[in-house]
Amino acid sequence: MKKLHSLIKACMTSDMNLFKIKAKKGKKSSIAVVLFITLCLMFTIWSNANILFEKLSPMHLQSVVLSFFVFLTSVLLIVEGIYKAGPLIFNCKDDQLLLSLPIKRRTVLFVRIFKFYIFELLFNSLFIIPLIIAYIRWAEVLDWTFFLTSFIMIFTLPIIPIIISCVIGAIIFGFSSHFKHKSIIQIVVSIVFLVVALYLSFTVQNIFNYIAENAETINNSITKIYYPAGIYASLAIKFNILDLLVFILINISLFSISIFVLSKFYFKINSRLKNVTTSKKTNIEDLKIKSNSITKALIKKELNTFLRTPVLIINSGFALVLFIIISIITVIKFDSLIPIISDQNGLNLSKDLIMNNLSIVILILISITSYMTSITNSLISLEGRSIVILKSLPIKVKTILMSKIYTCLLITTPVLVIGDIILFIKFKTNIFESILLIILSVLIPLVSHFIGLLINLKHPKLDAENSTEVVKQSTSSFISVMLGMILLVLSIGIVIKLATLMNSILVLVISVVIYILIDSILYWILTNKGVKEFNQLSI
Amino acid sequence: MIEIKNVTKKYGNKTALDNVSFTVNDGDIFAFIGHNGAGKTTLIKAIVGIHDFDDGDILIDGKSIKTDPVLCKKMMAFVPDNPETYEHMKAIDYINFICDMYDVDNDTREKNIKKYATLFEMQDKLNDTIDSYSHGMKQKIVLISALAHDPKILIMDEPFVGLDPKAVFDIKKILNEMVKEKKIVFYSTHILDVAEKLCSRVAIIKNGKLVKSGSMKEIKGDKSLEKVFMELEEK
Repeated sequence: MKKLHSLIKACMTSDMNLFKIKAKKGKKSSIAVVLFITLCLMFTIWSNANILFEKLSPMHLQSVVLSFFVFLTSVLLIVEGIYKAGPLIFNCKDDQLLLSLPIKRRTVLFVRIFKFYIFELLFNSLFIIPLIIAYIRWAEVLDWTFFLTSFIMIFTLPIIPIIISCVIGAIIFGFSSHFKHKSIIQIVVSIVFLVVALYLSFTVQNIFNYIAENAETINNSITKIYYPAGIYASLAIKFNILDLLVFILINISLFSISIFVLSKFYFKINSRLKNVTTSKKTNIEDLKIKSNSITKALIKKELNTFLRTPVLIINSGFALVLFIIISIITVIKFDSLIPIISDQNGLNLSKDLIMNNLSIVILILISITSYMTSITNSLISLEGRSIVILKSLPIKVKTILMSKIYTCLLITTPVLVIGDIILFIKFKTNIFESILLIILSVLIPLVSHFIGLLINLKHPKLDAENSTEVVKQSTSSFISVMLGMILLVLSIGIVIKLATLMNSILVLVISVVIYILIDSILYWILTNKGVKEFNQLSI
Repeated sequence: MIEIKNVTKKYGNKTALDNVSFTVNDGDIFAFIGHNGAGKTTLIKAIVGIHDFDDGDILIDGKSIKTDPVLCKKMMAFVPDNPETYEHMKAIDYINFICDMYDVDNDTREKNIKKYATLFEMQDKLNDTIDSYSHGMKQKIVLISALAHDPKILIMDEPFVGLDPKAVFDIKKILNEMVKEKKIVFYSTHILDVAEKLCSRVAIIKNGKLVKSGSMKEIKGDKSLEKVFMELEEK
């Protein structure tokens, strides 16, 4: 037991740095930002739960909201879990160390799944705690048994999603481990899951309305499909200690059986994933020895890093893929999209306003894509220990930093321009507006790239165990994603306000001028303050 | 020439380097020795411009690493203790990348890559990605990329760790060739008998302070380098 405790402590320490109480001065501000954003997210979930409770409480169907949220949270946990299963379970860097220690292999697997459980528990709490608070307001009968049930639910609900994620992860990694290009297979399979998640997020508004109309039928289906969702709702209405004990027992049994079964083939998958295939012996005379300029060589190196990091491709590619999909959908079904855009809460956009400002619609789409595509927020952290290579090279730091920006532009610009052209053809945008929009397709992502890099320089994570820790769990990515959201809302608000005051060409011209100004300021900050931050990086 | 002038480096309250001064002349093979945590890697990283330092200066052929870092780095090659590379790159792409950074022309890089890859028996493995290599092979790739741009000064941190005996023998040969060309080799090591045979000059550091520096003959006299080092450690 002492061994297990030490093992868990050692494995958790590196991952939980963000939550250390004895934080350094600089870290305190980032903890405050993370806490603030977490509270904002919980408030949003609480508000959405209240909307559903309000719709369903006249029919005395509050429990449906409980089952629906538990179901939805579990789906999210599974999707998020598939991302995390890679680095936390299947692609661990500490294999060599742990497997050489005198501990059972099953213990190693348990510790890894436990670490996974802690992450999923935190994620689960983000959704379930606001739901519980909202339920307190709308519940018809409320006593201590609800709080006991909820407390147990917070800890037990992540278990089944973890098991499902591990099984899907085992399929993805087990399948890809048979191939030479493992990361490509992982990207393809993950994109399939991403497309499904994308489809679900598009239909979420319809799902809400459908639930309100068919609450009882939905409740029946969810509770039948997903046992924990049903049991929570049923225990909230009528508490039964036996049901609760059975539920706990089922979870513990499933967890134990999963560890037992997974341990049978887990280490085989893991060792196969670490097998690196080598090419045939090559003749030195046939090798490609070719020189490049410094910037081109740095860009090639950055592109290589990007293409070898599946989690970064999937994370940053989401908005870019979305932009192309929206552009194509707009071409096919624009007429049916107009009412959806004009009906958006709080925007009050008339159909005429949209039709007269189609270039503004494109501008908004470019903004959404740009602010949601933050690649640079991980590029410094991904250097890891090899940052010493860059720091010892005879090149200016400004060149290193700008090469990262150019690489990101090389990734985002072609996609945005292709989407632009599709939309220009559909909307018959005039040449002048088209040129302005193409310029904005470079200027707006540039803001996002500069900000991401500056944040990563301020909050580097050079000692990360794997790329997922950098891309999905670092302070830098969290702050830049949230800041991107704020900037997005601000920029859309300003553009819409301007569009009501002047014609679209003038709005585009003003946008170009403003963005040139912002980019120039950010360039100045990066090449001065950013260079200093880079020089202070150490591991 | 490398001139280390009153260099002080602090990590919070801990002084990692305390007013360290010495000179490395052209044509020297210079051994830098000390116990673990004495400050060897800190000084090496300061010389090659990876770490800043709080006081003093380091001059490379009269140019300060603080004010002219690019010019200074261009004269040097650095081989770290742990072979840091871009693991996802093919070895040949990595070496080409380093050569690009040092503006090495095609003829020179082709000549040097072939020469050193053949010497280290890596000529038929350069098309593999570095993550498929053993520790020693990675170290060889770092050495090939360091030597491919004909550096005037070679700085190495524990260069012999993980290398096979033949590679160690070959490196010693290369270092001697460099010295004949009046180039500088500066390296840290714990293998004192190799340092004693190979190096013309030596500096010993203890708890961030330089305790001895000079020619190998001056420092060791009639004793072995190991004995001198142990005596200094016990003081």
